[in-house]
Amino acid sequence: METLLGQGRAAIDLIVDAGSFTEGKVGARTFDDPDFGPGAVVGTALLEGETVTVIASDADAFNEKFPVVYSGVIGLEEGYKMAQAVYATLAADAEKEAARKRPIVLIVDTPGNGPGKVEEIFGMNKATGAYQLALAEARLAGHPIVAMVVGRAISGAFLCHGLQADRILSLTSEFQTMIHVMPITSVSRIIKKDVELLEGLAKSNPVFAAGPAFFYKLGGVEQLVETIDGMRPAIAAQIAGIRKAKADGAATLTGPRGRGSLGAERGGRVVRPKVQELLRSEFAAVEERFRPRVA
Amino acid sequence: MPNWNRLQKNSFLECSARERAVGLVDDGTFVELGGPFDRLVSPHLVALGEAVENDDGIVTGVGRIGDRPVFVISQEGRFIGGSVGEVGGAKMVGIIDMAIDFHDRLVADHPDLPASARPLVAISFETGGVRLHEANAGLLAHAEVMDALQRARHKVPVVALIGSRIGCFGGMGFVAAATDAIIMSEFGRLGLTGPEVIEQEMGKDEFDASNRALVYRTTGGRHKYVMGDANFLVDDTVAAFRAQLAELCKLPVASFEPMRRIGSPELVEKQLRGVALAVELKPTDARDVWRHAGNNDPVGLADGPLSDFRKSVRRLAL
Repeated sequence: METLLGQGRAAIDLIVDAGSFTEGKVGARTFDDPDFGPGAVVGTALLEGETVTVIASDADAFNEKFPVVYSGVIGLEEGYKMAQAVYATLAADAEKEAARKRPIVLIVDTPGNGPGKVEEIFGMNKATGAYQLALAEARLAGHPIVAMVVGRAISGAFLCHGLQADRILSLTSEFQTMIHVMPITSVSRIIKKDVELLEGLAKSNPVFAAGPAFFYKLGGVEQLVETIDGMRPAIAAQIAGIRKAKADGAATLTGPRGRGSLGAERGGRVVRPKVQELLRSEFAAVEERFRPRVA
Repeated sequence: MPNWNRLQKNSFLECSARERAVGLVDDGTFVELGGPFDRLVSPHLVALGEAVENDDGIVTGVGRIGDRPVFVISQEGRFIGGSVGEVGGAKMVGIIDMAIDFHDRLVADHPDLPASARPLVAISFETGGVRLHEANAGLLAHAEVMDALQRARHKVPVVALIGSRIGCFGGMGFVAAATDAIIMSEFGRLGLTGPEVIEQEMGKDEFDASNRALVYRTTGGRHKYVMGDANFLVDDTVAAFRAQLAELCKLPVASFEPMRRIGSPELVEKQLRGVALAVELKPTDARDVWRHAGNNDPVGLADGPLSDFRKSVRRLAL
């Protein structure tokens, strides 16, 4: 079976309209310096005729200034560059009504965030945090955001590049896609439980298992895509679906909290809504005490 | 319930999550929501045959500082490293959501409500991030917390307090970075990749995790204060954290925007000046950045008393 692992650029061409991708240009903004955040590919394309912003990782790029950045890792420059592409998208459509704001398509194949000393000295948590906030802002402003997992969607890197999307799609595991915080073998070592036990339990409880099918059960992936040709129509259909959900005023049906409801529906995360309901009812009982003391 | 007056003098570092939650707000005002009697335990730990805690290692509730309703989230490092799973994540999101909803209801009823009576969220972090026993659920919860923080923007200020043993790492490092203001003690640590993980991934030459001084130089409160990542550096007592939080409680939400590190295109440009500086300086140690910021004796500065440090330190200008 074919795979798109490590082929973020090829994946762009397979997803957007033929020949429509312009790299390094989003709205009025250009990204001219080829050495700046080379692991982050940003640009504009058409998807079934509609203008979209595309953000992907380039697994072949190596950031000479930050040697921990290779193989699609999101480093300091990459995180901020991705955030800039989102802000440029917001700026480009600032005057448009919410329903007409351009979509953002995230093509996900990243093994992690830059793990280095310089990264910690300067605060790697800010770079990817900045990207997450930018995506959340764009999503709440009306931009439909779709993440398409074509390779690795790992831990903190997936948190910033994927998990803030309205909807997440993934190629099935036949394409060697990987979605996890850590491989089950490493989880087993750290929490000191046999791999066999974890694998057995994973059949009924997907929380520590790796792979798109398990993430689907948790509501972490809205839709699994079974063919490479199926990606483009699936993304276009999701964009339409997101627009409809947002127009219906149901912004909570998409994005991270939409996936929360989906997790309950699919039986993967059933406690989450009960916890929040309980907090609400307990606060309601004491709320009066915290109201302003005014006449 | 701990004695509130005695609690104020205690080391923040040594306090449990519940002591911090109670001590940060006014005496007798803290109401725990989703407390131990509700037995909100992790079903995933139960499935693994692991020990559970009845609050899942996180204390949530609401209290007052003056007239201000303060929604509190306090993580307990003694329970699986303060890790965040389905239940703990749901509690965090639930509290932030309630603060936002309460804000909206109060302002609808009292359009002229002064800032000092509007809700605020305080998060006392002590966490390594995602709980590996329920990793995927923890990851999804982190994304929901981030979404909730963005929804709180321009309405409800969110203040981070970092001064507990575990520090604040992993996915929760993003969350802390995304809050409006950060209060740290010198014993607080903030980062993304923990020292052990860097050593494991990159080797001991890159980072020696057993070198405590190096670890604190890289992620500790003093360094984060120099970098502008911590807005305030306070003494290691509950009273000191509380006093700084109380100062912030007087401010309207607009006053928090200038304290932010990230969350706008301008702030991203500013952070990128720091990244360019990293390329130019090629620091092998946090001290190199301190020196660049105008601190000629970074070793003496790091070792001296905190009061001297606060008086004489030069912070990095970007």
